[in-house]
Amino acid sequence: MLIIKPKVDFVVSVEAEITPDIADDLEKAKNFEVYYGKDKVKLEDLFEITKEGDDKKLVLDGDFSKVKWIGCRMEDGEIVVKGNVGANCGAYMKGGKIIIEGNADDWLGAEMSGGEIIVKGNAKNCIGCAYYGDMQGMKGGKITIEGNAINYIGEKMAGGEIEIKGNAGDFIGTEMTNGLIVIHGDCGFVGGDMKGGEIRIGGKFELMPTFKKSEEGFVGDINVGGKGVVKTL
Amino acid sequence: MHHMLHIKNGIVIDPKNGIKAEKMDIFVKEGKIVEESEIDKSQCKVIDASNKLVVAGGVDMHAHIAGSKINTGRTMRPEEMRMVRQIANKFRATVGRVLLTSPAIGYEYAKMGYTTSFEAAQPPIGALHTHEELDAIPMVDKAALPVFGNWHFVLKYVAEKDIEKLKTFIAWAIERTKGFGVKVVNPGGVEAWMYGKNCRNLDDEVPNFGITPREIITSLIKATEELNLCHSVHLHCNNLGNPGNFETTIETMKLANGFSNDKRQVLHVTHVQFNAYAGSSWRDVGSGAAEIAKYVNSVDNITIDMGAAIFGHATAMTGDAPFQFTLHKLLNARWSNKDSEIEGGAGIVPLMYLPKNPVHALQWAIGLELGLLIDSDKVVLTTDFPNGGPFTEYPYVMAMLMSKKMREKELEKVSPFVQKAANLPSIETEKSLEEVIHMTRDLPARILGLENKGHLGVGADADIAIYNLNPNEIDASNDYELINKAFRNALYTIKGGTIIVKDGQLVEEVWGTTYWVDATKNVDMKAIEDDLNEYFDLYYSIEKENYGVEEAWIKNPTRLVMG
Amino acid sequence: MAQKVICTFCGSVCDDVEFDVEEFKPKKFCKLGRSKFSKKERIKAPMIDGKEVSYEEAIQKAAEILVNAKKPLLYGWASTANEAIRLGVILTEKVRGVYDQCASVCHAPGTLAVIEEGIPGASLGAIKNRADLVIFWGSNPMEAHPRHPLRYSMSAKGLLIKGRNDRKVVVVDVRKTKTAKKADVFVQIKPGYDYPVISALRALIKGEDIDVDEVGGVSKEQLKELAEMMKNAKYGVIFYGLGVTQSRGRDRNIENAVKLIQLLNRYTRFVIWPMRGHYNVVGSGEVPAWEVGYQYAIDFSRGYPRFSPAEFSANEVLQREDCDAALVIAADPVAHFPKESVKHLKKIPVIQIDPFPNMTTLVANVVIPSAVYGLEAEGTAYRMDGIPLRVKKVIDTEYWSDEKILEELLKKVVELRGE
Repeated sequence: MLIIKPKVDFVVSVEAEITPDIADDLEKAKNFEVYYGKDKVKLEDLFEITKEGDDKKLVLDGDFSKVKWIGCRMEDGEIVVKGNVGANCGAYMKGGKIIIEGNADDWLGAEMSGGEIIVKGNAKNCIGCAYYGDMQGMKGGKITIEGNAINYIGEKMAGGEIEIKGNAGDFIGTEMTNGLIVIHGDCGFVGGDMKGGEIRIGGKFELMPTFKKSEEGFVGDINVGGKGVVKTL
Repeated sequence: MHHMLHIKNGIVIDPKNGIKAEKMDIFVKEGKIVEESEIDKSQCKVIDASNKLVVAGGVDMHAHIAGSKINTGRTMRPEEMRMVRQIANKFRATVGRVLLTSPAIGYEYAKMGYTTSFEAAQPPIGALHTHEELDAIPMVDKAALPVFGNWHFVLKYVAEKDIEKLKTFIAWAIERTKGFGVKVVNPGGVEAWMYGKNCRNLDDEVPNFGITPREIITSLIKATEELNLCHSVHLHCNNLGNPGNFETTIETMKLANGFSNDKRQVLHVTHVQFNAYAGSSWRDVGSGAAEIAKYVNSVDNITIDMGAAIFGHATAMTGDAPFQFTLHKLLNARWSNKDSEIEGGAGIVPLMYLPKNPVHALQWAIGLELGLLIDSDKVVLTTDFPNGGPFTEYPYVMAMLMSKKMREKELEKVSPFVQKAANLPSIETEKSLEEVIHMTRDLPARILGLENKGHLGVGADADIAIYNLNPNEIDASNDYELINKAFRNALYTIKGGTIIVKDGQLVEEVWGTTYWVDATKNVDMKAIEDDLNEYFDLYYSIEKENYGVEEAWIKNPTRLVMG
Repeated sequence: MAQKVICTFCGSVCDDVEFDVEEFKPKKFCKLGRSKFSKKERIKAPMIDGKEVSYEEAIQKAAEILVNAKKPLLYGWASTANEAIRLGVILTEKVRGVYDQCASVCHAPGTLAVIEEGIPGASLGAIKNRADLVIFWGSNPMEAHPRHPLRYSMSAKGLLIKGRNDRKVVVVDVRKTKTAKKADVFVQIKPGYDYPVISALRALIKGEDIDVDEVGGVSKEQLKELAEMMKNAKYGVIFYGLGVTQSRGRDRNIENAVKLIQLLNRYTRFVIWPMRGHYNVVGSGEVPAWEVGYQYAIDFSRGYPRFSPAEFSANEVLQREDCDAALVIAADPVAHFPKESVKHLKKIPVIQIDPFPNMTTLVANVVIPSAVYGLEAEGTAYRMDGIPLRVKKVIDTEYWSDEKILEELLKKVVELRGE
């Protein structure tokens, strides 16, 4: 296990595509290349890194809200972020677990295909979405937000599960083809051009007018001949 | 820097000058190929080309490299731009998978030993945009072909059967757009698209004009020949992309009957792969390449380019707006369209050619069939970039044309549909290295009327490529992988006498020229002045005086005066 | 005597206007364009920290700021010429900064919709010639593009349409705007409900029924009428504005509208186009697209371009305190950006290039005045429909053009970086 603490207040954001793969070798971790503005630096230039035991685990201790791409493409192991985390956390993730004790930024778990992300605080926009130009968002795995999220949740989602315990904003499951989105609180627009999959909502929400009531709940979006289901929890 | 160069002991293939893999030296001074006697050997940089192939720089006569279409394509497809080709250093950062940024276009051509590329469809009112992008492409010489076939002035003069005015208008338009020649895209069909229709056959009537594609094409050939432009009419046929269209293509080619030109073809039919389908639907579609080849081989006034399809990503972008809409419906893909004043339109649709898809595999086969079955003096190698795929795959196409063995290997990977629907599996032809050099150098230069391009004779531009191949030793039929590899990264690319690529790496950035054709000398602009004023007043949204491009706005223009 | 010029105010880029140099008087302009082509207060001279300096000194200082920054933001570009924008993109690549332009606070959602679905559009001339149905959706040209209705849309005369009586005009908006008052049909929708209204129209046009009586404040009957009107048009156009891009739904509204247009073209001809604001905001997206592949929100910190609107748009960068210097050209973020963004701008070194003083001048450390394109400098601009026009120079000036300033700045940066 590595414990990673910021050494300085970051003047601009840091892009650190770190995964638990670096946990086994302190030297490797220290020399891992990260981007600090235009400068390519070593992880140890910006962070204090200590090793404790051999678990495939990273503990990020401190404010990582200006650190992006943490856990990007990770396949196994665990990352615990003690504070907030920056954008693109867990993007393209295939396996393993990320626990964020604070808040997450945009593009959490974007295009992930496996593994689990848990956010104890709030998250922002584009959770489990597809990056611009891509045809599929999240394909597998699970994202849980204990708090609230903002807009664009599970767009073009093709599998996996997103659960938001608080409220969310607009555009839940737009162009979704498969998978499950659960929102315990209130949210805005739901289901635009939804083709398949299921959305369950506990609170108030605004369904597109292009859904038809059925025994299962609401089915749509009829604009795309969709068989998506939206129902209350 | 213009050095004097002495390219020593290379094995030269220069089809135009009848040089067939001969060991000889080439001398360069002030950007031109010169006699040995012109060179001061003490001042001269010597390039040892022993046992290496020395040829003229490649000429791409049909690619979409600049202007609103490719740029909208880039905007639509950020996923294309995620492929990083080069981090900024002495040279610009470049990105792009198939669609490339302007610097990337120039650099990638240069690495491949290509030194000239023509933008194949310039929307006339967007000419200034096209030229801005051409000016942003380093390394190569370039030009743009403005699109005529649906322009209301053309339709009007065709309807009035007034060839004099049509000629005058063409001269005016090419001068105003700083264009190079007469490009025609789905004549009449794009005008019909303004009403949600198309002209798929040569005799379909163009709405409100009482004329047909047949008349438009014939009139434009006549006008272009009477103006004696250096390049012929360059035609994207009607009925593109539809099963059974090979018949329309042959019918169209017959419209050139009765026209002739001492120097060149009178009709260049472009990206014929997309117009060479037999059958009546996508279920029974087949190859019409053999029939087209038979016709082209039987006449001496027509040339074509392949428009080969390459497996992988591509983006369809043409002035054929109704076809693009059909493609959008067929693929359920993103779609951009632009109807342009009274000039025509354009469309863009992303696509991907998959080897296991029967239709895609057929398209791939047809492109190659055209290259194989048509006389090497009549068919140019293109992919209609980015419609059929990347121009960076030209080496693949070259190798495929030269090796039956390579084709057999590739055929194993594609849909078996090709076995029954295409001719490719049974074609034995293997083009020689000399033929493939011809199809990529002096033939396109001749078709375009560029006398100083595509060859290594004295007086030619010193655009030279040296490849790591010995033509006297290579057995292309078996060593196709060597061919494919060697043409991807030139040992040297020399542009206008400057070494710009060495060992496949960029070494110096140069800015080529932009050719434009001035045919205004032999026409009287007064003949169309009233019409221009009337149309600009009524149907355009900009003033006539603000229409077009001045030479001073172009970075490095070259005016070619006709007549 | 008045001579013909091209207006460099709004995205209409009217090229039929005139300017009398001796009298310094604009003619035929609308109110908005007239204001730019009249005598206005100018930035007198280059300044560093409020002290007047030479152009060379200001450029030296600006280059130092950019080269020393870890991640400079270079923002604005919508009111300058392509020649300057191109140098600006190359400059941003050189200093490995972030390029962003004014669209990121107005029409960039339209660009995202182009990524998702494309844009089936037309030039303004094609529209004036053919459109028998013009729909202004969340746009109000009577106030924002005053000559647009006359020249290109509402009452423009063209090939098939001989004037206002030959076409129907519909306004869809949240309030009865000046444009709405001139329309044949006004559809008032509840603020923030463009997206479901468009979804409902798509269903009705396809011949599907919807189970609700009203969507976004619009009755099903009225939606049906609008759907029929669209389907029965021979050539329709939707001109959308900031009412759609900068309210709830943003890019998704436009994406949905593009899907509506795709559907309509299965029945008739229909196009859609944004009512772009600044005279060359189109160029400020097109130029970087050909130079580096993207239109806006472009980060070069890794030495190659990357696009991410949620990370590299000016406001995102400023609010996340993710830049340590800024160059602002032909824009006024201090006046128009949210407070949190301005707060960070005040903390970092700022370079401004602009003909006119504005709120941003007050926070800028280096101020470089420039010539006014269309009046004092010549260059290329793209009208809202992408039609390129060469704006003219009719007055001599001591002020340097943006192009010259950036050319010198780029040279200085290359020199400082030792390349």
